[in-house]
Amino acid sequence: MTGSREALPDVDGPGATLGDRAAIALTEYREGNRQALGDLVREATPLLWHTVRAQGVDHDTADDVVQSTWVALVRHADSIAEPKAVLKWLLVTAKRAAWEAVRKHRDDEKRRTELPDDSPEHPMALPAKDLLPDAQVLREERDRILWASLQKLPGRCQELLRLVSLADRPDYRYISAAIGMPMGSIGSTRGRCLAKLRTILDEQGDFSWT
Amino acid sequence: MDLTPEPNVDDETWGRLLFDPKGVLDAGDGAVLTRLAHLVEAVDPVPDDLVERSLFAMTLAGLEADLMEAVYLDAPLAGVRGAAAAARADDTSPAEAKTITFTHDSLTVMISLSPSAGGKVRIDGWAAPAASLDVELHRPGADAVAVTSDDDGRFSFDAVDRGRASLVVRRTDGGGGAVSTPIIEL
Repeated sequence: MTGSREALPDVDGPGATLGDRAAIALTEYREGNRQALGDLVREATPLLWHTVRAQGVDHDTADDVVQSTWVALVRHADSIAEPKAVLKWLLVTAKRAAWEAVRKHRDDEKRRTELPDDSPEHPMALPAKDLLPDAQVLREERDRILWASLQKLPGRCQELLRLVSLADRPDYRYISAAIGMPMGSIGSTRGRCLAKLRTILDEQGDFSWT
Repeated sequence: MDLTPEPNVDDETWGRLLFDPKGVLDAGDGAVLTRLAHLVEAVDPVPDDLVERSLFAMTLAGLEADLMEAVYLDAPLAGVRGAAAAARADDTSPAEAKTITFTHDSLTVMISLSPSAGGKVRIDGWAAPAASLDVELHRPGADAVAVTSDDDGRFSFDAVDRGRASLVVRRTDGGGGAVSTPIIEL
């Protein structure tokens, strides 16, 4: 990746956020650098993975969805109107594919089992299979408190914060928009979800987070 | 486009906030989010080789080759395609040859996989209609290896590492576009 980085989206210096780096990578790829997307794939795959998993998609399907999302990026590299919004494009594409997978899975299940009480009014009610971290993961009390506090937030706030944590803070707006939770002109400001989480944490004791 | 039901997020849900939602992110926000990222990764880790597989799939997609269809998948089939295989010295190994046929429009490519020395795989291929073809073998994280078929459309790769792979086939005279097989497991 030795391409020129002038004339590229620039917020706080080139490549300041994942969103910027994604835009740079796509621009370089379009200019013929076939290797340009490698670092982006390495960096943004966790964000896509967790975006997809948050839709209630099983492990193997999520694996397929993430791969297909990257393949779609290559196929649409020249037609993505706004390189600056490529991170949002990736998130929306992944999320849409995840919904498709969930719906298809349901249709298959329905065909197989013909459950009489499968209510068509709530076709999108996701299996409330919340991921439970095992004791190993939450060994520190601080982590247990953080995880428990997160669970007290509205579901979509939890999703938003989990995803934002994997990106860069100024990407907040792309991510919130991509998951259908526009937060106004949030920019790099804190937002209600994070303000609430900080409040819950604050009320639980004197933990230094810095 | 977003199909998620909007939750009832009214002011009671939010209660009293000790932090200004419109406030600028501070170091405490950063630290909480960083910690959260660790937890998210630990609770549901990204599959180990997802990045590598994605990159491989992207490389193949970037070749803009039409995807062939695997029409015939056959497990242990001893020695049927064996003209080339039978001539090989190491053919004393158990014949667990596997043949797969791929088609796209009028082109058919049949490959036969058989064990090769050192735990590797030998690929013998045959394309019809017979023509001289450039055949590239793509594998994740490795440079593509290219061979040219003979005039009868026969080609081979002697010793290929096991794992995922895809073949990309082009006519040497430039006629027609490139076609690729789906990713196969060697």
